Amino acid sequence: MVETFTPAVCGSRSPQRLAIALFALAALVASAVLGATLGFVGSLVGTRPALIAAAALAFLAALREAGILRLPLPQSRRQVPERWQYELPLPLWSAGYGAGLGLGFLTFQPVATFWVACAAALALGKPAVAAGCFALYGAGRAFMAVWPRHREPNGPAAVERLVGRATVVPRANAIVLGLAVVLLAVAPAAGAAVTSLGRGFDPAADGKTLARARIDSGTLKVVVAPPAPDPTDTVSPANAPALDGDYLAYEDDQGIKVIDWRHDSPMRELDGPYSHPALDYPLLAYIRNDGAHERLVLADISKPNPDERVIASVRSAADLGRPALRGGRLAWHRIVRGGSSIYVLDLATNKRHAIKRTNVWMEASPSVTSRRIVWVEHRPQGSYLRMKWLGSKRTKTLMHVRGRKTLLWTTALTGRTAYVTRWTPSTRKAAVLRVHF
Amino acid sequence: MRRPDGLLDAAARALSTRLASGMTRRSFLGRMGGAVLAATGGAAVAAAVRPEKSEAFHFCGHIWTTGSCLNPLGLPRIDKNGFPLRPSDGHPIDNLGRPVNSEGWAVDGSGSRLRSPDGEFLPRAPRTRLCEDWTNEHYKIGGVMQGAWYRCCGGQVRKLVDCCSYSKKRINGDASLTGYCFDGRRVFCVLYYDSGLKC
Repeated sequence: MVETFTPAVCGSRSPQRLAIALFALAALVASAVLGATLGFVGSLVGTRPALIAAAALAFLAALREAGILRLPLPQSRRQVPERWQYELPLPLWSAGYGAGLGLGFLTFQPVATFWVACAAALALGKPAVAAGCFALYGAGRAFMAVWPRHREPNGPAAVERLVGRATVVPRANAIVLGLAVVLLAVAPAAGAAVTSLGRGFDPAADGKTLARARIDSGTLKVVVAPPAPDPTDTVSPANAPALDGDYLAYEDDQGIKVIDWRHDSPMRELDGPYSHPALDYPLLAYIRNDGAHERLVLADISKPNPDERVIASVRSAADLGRPALRGGRLAWHRIVRGGSSIYVLDLATNKRHAIKRTNVWMEASPSVTSRRIVWVEHRPQGSYLRMKWLGSKRTKTLMHVRGRKTLLWTTALTGRTAYVTRWTPSTRKAAVLRVHF
Repeated sequence: MRRPDGLLDAAARALSTRLASGMTRRSFLGRMGGAVLAATGGAAVAAAVRPEKSEAFHFCGHIWTTGSCLNPLGLPRIDKNGFPLRPSDGHPIDNLGRPVNSEGWAVDGSGSRLRSPDGEFLPRAPRTRLCEDWTNEHYKIGGVMQGAWYRCCGGQVRKLVDCCSYSKKRINGDASLTGYCFDGRRVFCVLYYDSGLKC
């Protein structure tokens, strides 16, 4: 490339600059597209298998770069087609050269790092971020087509001198790849990106809007946080939020209230021993506790006198928890002394089935969409955020917390983002975590 | 085949006889300390002298190789009905290993019920039998408590219990033995119950 982008080949300095600019742009774009494609494919594949594969590949690559392992690299042992310079207009061949080199796999691969980066982009599963990272590869390609001659008119000689000083590169590459192995290995074990969103508990989510309960100065309140630039709304006293678009249901001392949180206007009030609302307007699910029994009730609150339909009932010593209502499905847990279960009711078909049943662990706090369900499984060694595609037998663990001092508690689910409360009873500290999967 | 503890007891008796024949009673007793008997493998006697440091395989009184039944806190201590207890002090625990009160509600060190972030009491977690429920759920075998033997541990009588099933493999993964099981069952895993009776 150093020999190609010269005034002699391009015609004069002006076309040379144009060719270099087009080469660089094409390399950047091609790399970015490659990264975006890998990131998109990765978002469809499970993050955990991709992470494991990336870590394993980085390990093998590190051994190769260190000279310990002989490993052939997949590559196309070709250079860019020279005839393009004679057959195609300058803008086309220079951009074509840039795209070819920017894609990486259409030419020689002296080191294994490129393939490790591809595996990491798959593991990342985020097209935009992967595109940004890969664009740097394209920028590097463009840089090396120009930089060697920055002080030296004889480009090939400059490159030869550079190569002569590059004995440290394979070792440095091996070290960097070793570091990549460590970073990939310590990535969240469940393959999900976990972020703390700060104080609060009992998350409820709809799209990018998140509601949570919080205790500030001894007062229980619900904070609704839509995406920027919309302002946050606070309702107090309030607890146990449930969100559906502009509607918010919450629990207070009188019972359950449903409001339009954007306009602070009340929609519906249910006074009585009602708690733990779940909202998919106009349907509202809640727990009614009459002292002897706890009942899960489903009602259509658009009607002046909503018919209550009892979905499940347990004695007060048992627990039905905080139900979830979304996508035509109602989910709840049932915890009794002899075991626990997670149930889902399909409202269209009225069929219910147990997602999980156990005589040993405590399965609790489900959240549901039309396609997936998450819940928390409590064991002596810790608590686990589980996820299942509805209709599938496979269960995935999104994250876990070790030990008994801190536990995962209530959940929320929207698309491929789960929210969960992390709670430490001894310190009374609660935080909401966001888990992308 | 004689049980290992039987062989060890016989060896301990033989050694003690030989030592006693050459000593005064006082010096005999003085020398027959737990360390000597532990060295000879006299499991039963050593356990009575130093129960907490018995040479048993993983808890006092247990000298066979069968592993413990699944349990919340690492040792399969149970009450008389087979429900889990905290190994250190026998306090009832739920399946998550949390101490519970008489009604089964999880409590903290001061006996107060645990609460959720909004101040509500945490729900009662399941509390089920280690042999019949835990083992059956994990291994899909019809485990039942059968057979027992007794040892003196910590100055009190400990009842060691076999969780028996028709499985030909025990919890360790290898072949199971009959032990004290009956009706064709074999030992799958072991548990223990501390009676509190002095010994």
